[in-house]
Amino acid sequence: MTTSKIAKGPSLQQQRVRAAFWFLAPMLVMLAIVAAWPLFRSISFSFTDATADTIFNGKAAWVGFDNYIEQRVRSNGEIRWRGVLLDAEWWNAVWNTVRFSLVSVALETVLGLLVALVLNAEFKGRGLVRAAILIPWAIPTIVSARMWGWMLNDQFGVINQMLLTVGLISEPIAWTARADTAMLAVLIVDVWKTTPFMALLILAGLQMIPRDMYEAAKLDGIHPVKVFFRVTLPLLKPALLVAVIFRVLDALRIFDLIYVLTPQSDATVTMSVLSYRQIQQFGDYGEGSAMSTLLFLIITAFVLLYIKLGRVDLSGEKS
Amino acid sequence: MARATTPRRKALTTLAAWTVALIIFFPVLWMILTSFKTEASAVAMPPEFLGASWTLENYAEVWQRSDYPRFFWNSVVISVGSTLLGLGLAIPAAWSMAFVPGRRTKDLLMWMLSTKMMPAVAVMIPIYLLFQWLGIYDSKIGLVIALMLMNLPIIIWMLYTYFKEIPSEILEAARMDGANLWNEVLYVLTPMAVPGIASTLLLNVILAWNEAFWTITLTTTKAAPLSAFIASFSAPQGLFYAKLSAASTMAILPILILGWFSQKQLVRGLTFGAVK
Repeated sequence: MTTSKIAKGPSLQQQRVRAAFWFLAPMLVMLAIVAAWPLFRSISFSFTDATADTIFNGKAAWVGFDNYIEQRVRSNGEIRWRGVLLDAEWWNAVWNTVRFSLVSVALETVLGLLVALVLNAEFKGRGLVRAAILIPWAIPTIVSARMWGWMLNDQFGVINQMLLTVGLISEPIAWTARADTAMLAVLIVDVWKTTPFMALLILAGLQMIPRDMYEAAKLDGIHPVKVFFRVTLPLLKPALLVAVIFRVLDALRIFDLIYVLTPQSDATVTMSVLSYRQIQQFGDYGEGSAMSTLLFLIITAFVLLYIKLGRVDLSGEKS
Repeated sequence: MARATTPRRKALTTLAAWTVALIIFFPVLWMILTSFKTEASAVAMPPEFLGASWTLENYAEVWQRSDYPRFFWNSVVISVGSTLLGLGLAIPAAWSMAFVPGRRTKDLLMWMLSTKMMPAVAVMIPIYLLFQWLGIYDSKIGLVIALMLMNLPIIIWMLYTYFKEIPSEILEAARMDGANLWNEVLYVLTPMAVPGIASTLLLNVILAWNEAFWTITLTTTKAAPLSAFIASFSAPQGLFYAKLSAASTMAILPILILGWFSQKQLVRGLTFGAVK
């Protein structure tokens, strides 16, 4: 090694660090303009009385936390409280979102695991089957929601007909319209659409498990079920944790499926849908923004908690 | 798995796998079948399978009533354009994060994840106002930018995981041979990462093709892609299931064909390169 090379080392490193910064800059600027700035504006709208008219001319007045919670004194001296945080409709939407997310992600994880175990085995036509189960994921939600809406129709739906034939139900059910079945209908469609995706993510995790682990367990005569719970599942945990968080993020924000499949149902309205309604139907941009701000806070809190409790390492370096 | 080796086991697995595939595929099959039925046959009770009256009328009518080629072309421009633009921004960024990791790299990844925590509804109005102000509302450019940003985090994330697999010694060797930074990224790293980049490209074209919230919010007529086409279809035309099925089939057909021919890359893309 000559001295010149040693002297060159740090400057080259500096050059790379500087380049790294400039390489990141365009992306950071983009994220700032189209993610950070709109979010900031949306949060500030939630502190104003903005409506469809005032939002465009900037005449919306600052109202502090009134959209969230507000004390009103009536002329007769009676004190009334109102705002999103006291709105029964909002809490109904929160409850719907939470139960939808819990049930759908749980079902999708368990079914996805089962499907992945099947796909991981050897059988005829594996490539074809793998491609076929990808199809629901590749279809736009707006199309699959319509398609299912029709299959679940009480008069012409093929599903009612099948269930009638098998004898599971005695008369056709208007799945998407009835309050007690609407959530079930949404869950069915979401599970159908997302389980394949989940299965693929889990399959990826399964294929990283070294085969000799199974060979060793087999030689020791350990029951396959025990092998699954003692070997497969623990080794799958990192892949599962990442797959689950991505799914939960999508589930908490769910909008399009519910908006198309059960547009007016109170039994399925979620936080995103309610916020959208508040803005588009009622022109109440202030309260609508307050709702979406609360949703954002709830999701952020969940993610931070999840990463801390599950010790998920997002950079992919398994510790 | 290692234990599924006996012929009987294999037959059982095959049966299970095909049953699962059929259940999953049935709704799509039903839609495609319906699109070839007459309206009367489509709503017949009990549902008609083989005895239905088949027709191509639905496709002819959807084709006549709407400007399918324009929607199709908009979809192509928007999905491919947003993905290419996204790759252009993401390749340098992912290079930085993978090969010059700093203290902030993890924060950056977290920040990108945070864009997934943002409900689309929350930024709908500000983005709408921004696009109006910039004069790119209802334009292909506007949608290219919007969808690029929607997918940018996942593009960077995927490329980052692929790039990390590439040994940095190879890049160092190129540098020793006198390659400057630009050449290092363009002629050494990019060709080596072609499989990963291809998977990322495909996945994001499909994601952009299927996006409906932003394409509907940010367009009226001029720049509307197929997702807006399908959204607009049922409302004024009443509930004509066979025609709706035909329109839906026409909207998803291009992406299904693309997906079918590239399923290997796609599966690799979806699983961040883990499934070979």
